[in-house]
Amino acid sequence: MAKRDDLAEITSGCKRGDAGCFAKIVDMYASRCYGYFYRLTGKRDVSDDLLSELFVKLTEKIGSYKGGSFEGWLFRIASNIFHDYLRGKQRRTRMLDARKTRLESEITESKVSGAEMTDRLQIQVERLDADTRELIMLRFYSQLSFKEIARIRSEPIGTTLSKLHRGLKRLRELMG
Amino acid sequence: MNGKNQENLRELFGRFFEPEEAARAAEDVRRAEQILRENPAPQPDERLIANIKFKVEEALAARQRARARWSVAYRVAVAAAVIIIVAIVGTAVFERGTRPSRNVQIASIIPTALWESQDITADDADLVILTAEVEQIENEVLTLQRGETKANGERVLVELETELVEVSGDFWKG
Repeated sequence: MAKRDDLAEITSGCKRGDAGCFAKIVDMYASRCYGYFYRLTGKRDVSDDLLSELFVKLTEKIGSYKGGSFEGWLFRIASNIFHDYLRGKQRRTRMLDARKTRLESEITESKVSGAEMTDRLQIQVERLDADTRELIMLRFYSQLSFKEIARIRSEPIGTTLSKLHRGLKRLRELMG
Repeated sequence: MNGKNQENLRELFGRFFEPEEAARAAEDVRRAEQILRENPAPQPDERLIANIKFKVEEALAARQRARARWSVAYRVAVAAAVIIIVAIVGTAVFERGTRPSRNVQIASIIPTALWESQDITADDADLVILTAEVEQIENEVLTLQRGETKANGERVLVELETELVEVSGDFWKG
């Protein structure tokens, strides 16, 4: 309860524009949010950018936080930032495709991916479909309840549970 | 994951699966999440964290500056609006105080006494004097024409005509 009160105090400070309170939020959530971005993108430099964007965006959006689950609110913003990144990436890919041949782009992509996949889990995570991957990471890093995750994803809780179960089971199989 | 969520997993799955299947699903999730815990993602660099805190401070400062600018602009706009309103109201009040009304202007052209008179030739003093003078000159002219005066008739007649013209001019000049 004390932790929750502290968080309420910190978020109030953030709303007043207190840089110290924002620094505390960064310290509290940077690690989890970074893990979330990293597991979804597989790239450290991209995760760095997305994490920076998240906390800067927080200064703009903090006024819209009306209490309740701070993690839910924070990870909803993180999820939006990730989706914006994906859309931008898709645009960039289309532009790239228009300039280069398919073969060239495949070679480039495989080189980049190979260089950046440093851990085994990341390799297997990338074999899951994007939606399942995001659901697993949202659940693991946000530590939100299934009810909250279902609300963020605007889908019935049964769908969320079922997708997560299938995804995690598949990940276990891939990890052998 | 926190303990509460773990405890609720079986119950949650139980809403959608048979009890045995729900227990298995909850166990699948627990084991998979264990794998995620055993393979932690890299941590953000300390320099990155410091950089983020710096960016956040900059963003907050920029927002405060923007807010201050808006505040000044708002005050200036309010002051300008007040000045304009006061000027408009002041001008209207001043004009109402100094400008004669339309009724007064109409009344000033024709005095009320004359406007309401039944016999203007008797009530208007200027007109009475003019009429008397014209009648006097007329009599003098008639006298001259009849040759009742001993003076130089030609010269007196010219003088009388001149006087008549002057009297007529003075009347119309007011």
